[in-house]
Amino acid sequence: MDPAIAVTGLHKAFGERPVLRSVDLQVARGELLGVVGPNGAGKSTLFRVLLGLVPKDRGEVRVLGLDPATAAIAIRTRTCYLPGENGSYLQMTGREFLAYAFGFRPTRDDARLARLQDGFALPLQQKVRSYSAGMKQKLLLLGSLVPDVDLYVLDEPDRALDASVRFFVRDELRTMRTLGKTIVLSSHHLGEVEALADRLEFLLDGTFVPSTRLAAARAALRHRPRIRLRTGAVLPLGAREVAREPDGTLVVATDGDPMAWLRTVPDGTVDSAEVGIPRLEDLYQVLLAQQGAAP
Amino acid sequence: MIAGKTWREVRVMAFAYLVILELLCVPVLLLWPDIYADLQRSALMKNLGIDWLKRIGEGVTSRDEDIAYLNWCAVMLFFRSTNLVGTAAAVLLGTGLFARERENQTFESLLALPVSRGRMLWQKVWPPALCLVVPVYLVNASAIFWSRQIDLDLPKWELFLASTHAAVFMLLFFLLTTYLSVRLRVQAHVAAGVGAFAVLQIGIYLTQRIRPYSIFHLADYEWYSPVLAGNTPAWQMFDPIRSHGYTTWLLLACLCVYGLTWRALHKAVP
Repeated sequence: MDPAIAVTGLHKAFGERPVLRSVDLQVARGELLGVVGPNGAGKSTLFRVLLGLVPKDRGEVRVLGLDPATAAIAIRTRTCYLPGENGSYLQMTGREFLAYAFGFRPTRDDARLARLQDGFALPLQQKVRSYSAGMKQKLLLLGSLVPDVDLYVLDEPDRALDASVRFFVRDELRTMRTLGKTIVLSSHHLGEVEALADRLEFLLDGTFVPSTRLAAARAALRHRPRIRLRTGAVLPLGAREVAREPDGTLVVATDGDPMAWLRTVPDGTVDSAEVGIPRLEDLYQVLLAQQGAAP
Repeated sequence: MIAGKTWREVRVMAFAYLVILELLCVPVLLLWPDIYADLQRSALMKNLGIDWLKRIGEGVTSRDEDIAYLNWCAVMLFFRSTNLVGTAAAVLLGTGLFARERENQTFESLLALPVSRGRMLWQKVWPPALCLVVPVYLVNASAIFWSRQIDLDLPKWELFLASTHAAVFMLLFFLLTTYLSVRLRVQAHVAAGVGAFAVLQIGIYLTQRIRPYSIFHLADYEWYSPVLAGNTPAWQMFDPIRSHGYTTWLLLACLCVYGLTWRALHKAVP
């Protein structure tokens, strides 16, 4: 069977500034792919090229077996897209918005609609202008996830959502995957995407980071625990400060195994410690540092 | 779906526009007998210094009241109402069509719909275009009724021809606004752009020597007066080869601007 998405050697530049550089990507049908990367890495541009909203400069792109340059409408008929920077029609009620959104794709999953309506508990009879940012995002998610299509491209679907709603959406996406739907999503919540996705791709400076480099960065991060020292305590020997966050959390580098180092820390020194849970920004810094050190 | 949404957005404004046009029309028609008497007594209208104003003055003070009334209607129903109010309505209706989508960050969602850009443009344009054009016919048709209240008659066919020309003229302004709405990102910039164009055209119109180069020259008193009087037959309005064919030129200009808008929307990126 054809992959849902096949991209080879994709280049895209805006003026002189390259945004996507030789991007290769394969997404199998029924796969849930997570795309992470810092702001400006090219995630949204990649999604826009896939949907035929932005023309590519070079490379081969096939979505559901079709070329977005020539069959964008056919692709969009079988795809639901949630843009990253997405506003709402404030003058509509929630119900009017959904009627409008569903009107373009007549087949919808009513069971999913019922589940999401229950979970989101939105006041659909009210005007969208009265909604909070999180409620607007829930409404947009309803409009994007309920139509029954083959491919869902979701650019930061967890934007403005609190943790409990993010977990609810995660469960729904899992259910959709079991139904054979292909889902490509981007997020800044690395841990949550990792827990959800079949595969994770890290986009940095317009190109996907090879898995070996990503694994090396993760290994490097394993030696960089995050700790919070008790008031008045000093950093024990065996570790050096790498960064200090605004809330006082220290990112430290240990010489050996961070768990072994933590066991040697005197009682009453450390309030909390976090080991082996990479954050997107840390991963980004390590990858950038590796990139700078590369010959 | 897009057309339905656009209609919901413009319907209130369209209704307000219809009411304003009608409110502008009724008193100037019903008060005509008094106005005509006043005009007859006043020497001002006959001694206006500017040529085109003088011609209007002579027209509305004609000794033949039927002709004077037709000229009055040419000034009040068309030169004033449709040119000024109609143009303002065209700008108001067209400004937000696409620029508002950008301002509200819904433009990308719009472009991502499974609808071709050509169809998208058509569905965005026809509801406000109808809202703009239909009131012109309705209000001018109502002028026939109001005229009968003062025992005067307006020629139906000539009124229809003049309304058609006025409608096409307003459509041109509306399409120019829509074009800028696709090209520019902020509604205020679109309004400023069309406003600057209109002010420039009015400035040209008010300058005696270059007046024929103003777009308003295509739809002024001197155009509508002969149409209403039956001196400009339909073929002259529409035949650009054997006559001036202004209405056809305006229609062609509308098509050109629509084509440019279509092209701009095809190239638009989120």
